Amino acid sequence: MLIDIEHVRYRYPVSEGWGLDDASLQVEAGEYVVLAGASGSGKSTLLRLLNGLIPHFYGGELQGRVRIDGTDTVDRPVHAWLPFTGLVFQNPKAQLFASSVEREVAYGLESLGLARDEIRARLDWAAEVAQIGPLLGRAPHLLSGGEQQRVVVAAMLALRPRVLALDEPFTNLDPEAAYQLRSIMRDIQREGTTLIVAEHKLSEMLADATRLVVVAGGRIALDGSPRDILRQDLAPYRINLPTFARFARACGLSGSPLTLDEAVQMGVHAQADQVAQPVNGEGSGSRPVIEAEGLGHDLAGRPVLRDINLRVLSGDTVALVGRNGSGKTTLLKHLNGLRRPARGRLSVLGHDMRKARMADLAAQVGYVFQNPNDQLFKLTVREEIEVGARATRRFDSRLLDALYDNFDLRSLLDCSPFRLSEGQKKRVAFASALAVHPELLVLDEPTVGQDAASHDALVRWLRESHQTTIIATHDLEFAQEVAPRWIALAGGETVADGAPACLMSDARVMSIAGLRPTARFQLAAQTGHLTGAEAG
Amino acid sequence: MMELDPRTRLFLLFTFVVIVMVTQPLPVLAAEALLIAGVIAACGFMRAWVRILRTVVLMLVFLFAFYVWTLGLSEAVMGVLRLSASISAFFLFFQLTTVEDLGNALVQSRVPYPFVFVLMTAMQFAPVLSRQARDVFDAQRARGIRLEMDLASARNFPALLAPLLIQAFTLAEQLAEALEARGFGSPHRTFMREYRLRAVDWAAALCGVGALALAIVLLRQG
Repeated sequence: MLIDIEHVRYRYPVSEGWGLDDASLQVEAGEYVVLAGASGSGKSTLLRLLNGLIPHFYGGELQGRVRIDGTDTVDRPVHAWLPFTGLVFQNPKAQLFASSVEREVAYGLESLGLARDEIRARLDWAAEVAQIGPLLGRAPHLLSGGEQQRVVVAAMLALRPRVLALDEPFTNLDPEAAYQLRSIMRDIQREGTTLIVAEHKLSEMLADATRLVVVAGGRIALDGSPRDILRQDLAPYRINLPTFARFARACGLSGSPLTLDEAVQMGVHAQADQVAQPVNGEGSGSRPVIEAEGLGHDLAGRPVLRDINLRVLSGDTVALVGRNGSGKTTLLKHLNGLRRPARGRLSVLGHDMRKARMADLAAQVGYVFQNPNDQLFKLTVREEIEVGARATRRFDSRLLDALYDNFDLRSLLDCSPFRLSEGQKKRVAFASALAVHPELLVLDEPTVGQDAASHDALVRWLRESHQTTIIATHDLEFAQEVAPRWIALAGGETVADGAPACLMSDARVMSIAGLRPTARFQLAAQTGHLTGAEAG
Repeated sequence: MMELDPRTRLFLLFTFVVIVMVTQPLPVLAAEALLIAGVIAACGFMRAWVRILRTVVLMLVFLFAFYVWTLGLSEAVMGVLRLSASISAFFLFFQLTTVEDLGNALVQSRVPYPFVFVLMTAMQFAPVLSRQARDVFDAQRARGIRLEMDLASARNFPALLAPLLIQAFTLAEQLAEALEARGFGSPHRTFMREYRLRAVDWAAALCGVGALALAIVLLRQG
């Protein structure tokens, strides 16, 4: 037995509740275990047991026993577990502390006390496996989120640990980078490394996993093969079902397909089109909300947006898709005046964006940032949601009530926003942006870190509100659920603009923009069930 | 300069700053300022140097005016020259030396590793915090919260400070955790690069000591 977690209860310092409550988990060498569960269920805490960070780094109260390869983690300091467990945390930018990628990867190897030749050899190997060779000389903090994620994975791979534990590794990755990481994980598991991955986006790798463990309330609620677990009722655990399994359920089928072939064989295709049809129609209004002609913008002397031409009408929902660093967020920031056009013309809700005042725009444009922690500062959730509406004089108690209900915030209104889980904070950020009754809603990676219930609440609101919405996202399954129009960006330029299926049918566009076809599109294409709306 | 060990560069930096501070005759001080400008130009850092000078020009103008008012024109020119030359020397040092090079070299000189690491991490944390501050600033202004440099915005500054402080603490904790997970406390640390003082380092250090001695002699005679 490589990992043996026995009846562990753990409480963080100054925390009242138990983060883990009688959790037991045994893992054999070479397994690929996926930990699933709602935000705050205890997945990350479980991972921190595996290299002794709990209790050595965190302190707190630990009961029960954690043994790695027969040795209790309490008996050795954290650095002694380095050859056994490599742990990649959630936030890549908070794990990068060196001045170059090369030094970042070398740091752990230096900690192992390896000779220079061995450090060099392992560094080169990890760089090749994680495909970061061209990044070695660059400063880690200047890389895109996806590149940073590959660097932290490489830094752990270089240590050649027997167990590689990853906490939501796909969160910041664009579809192509996620595909590459999934392939890396498959390869190293085949070579004998034990993988333990906590993840919300199960579609990314459940077909590769040997076990699915559902964590709820700090204990192991379900444990078994992915197919067996997916047959059970998972609604109480707020888990995002893999897309094919979700379609199968909607079709009333009892099986749990994890791959396209399995889904086709089970006859999932017949019902798939009804499951996730985009409901917002393109151009449902006639008033132009956004008009851009030849829009360009530079950062540090380098063009990040080039010759963007765009027209969005009221009621449209548009998804911006493309690689990390393709210019999606920069384009979004032009829509409320956080960035100004360096070239060309941009009009938003009739404002000339070269000179529009941000204060005027704040009342008309609701903007949800990727990181909700950037905005929290009030003592209660209620004040946090109301502050923007009051500042812009758009306070509407009926709208607020609707938001509290839709985003399941009523029970949290008197809590401190700082004590919420990341998923709950994001729901507060949605409500806060929507509370000003914006004419244009701008969302930057809205599904990151969201469990199934939060995801469904957002989809529901977008479908029912018919609000003009621009979304930058790597989550193409979500984009296809809510946006009938996609704009693909690459290198700051528009490379395609049209219906999702049109883009996904074009191999050249998919390759340039670093996209992968959605499960839904693959299923429809395989079975010849592309609808008129999908085919564009 | 580029071939020198980071410790030699650090020694030369402090020697130069001391020399600049004690130099009295204006022509000699001007020559020292020209010397550092020449080295910066020879190393190809002119454009970045001009950018740095642009960010401090307001402070230099203010300092110049203050010196003219309190000590007279000659002292004002010398004060501004001293500060500009010192800033330029620090700029050159950090263009040539990464924080790790400096830290690793200090560790190999038996400076305690935890002390060096705190120094290195603090230096690298500053730009991270600066980016974080900009993100918070953007997020709050996007909500219509006024954050300008005026009195009306003063009551809104908790909107900037609270998220920034909380995230600074969170980031620091996450960084410490990541360091720990990559073996920060390991007693068997090796280094990918070797730092060794060679003949050229000793020669450069000797030149620095000579220049410093000369400056002190000139100060005593003056």
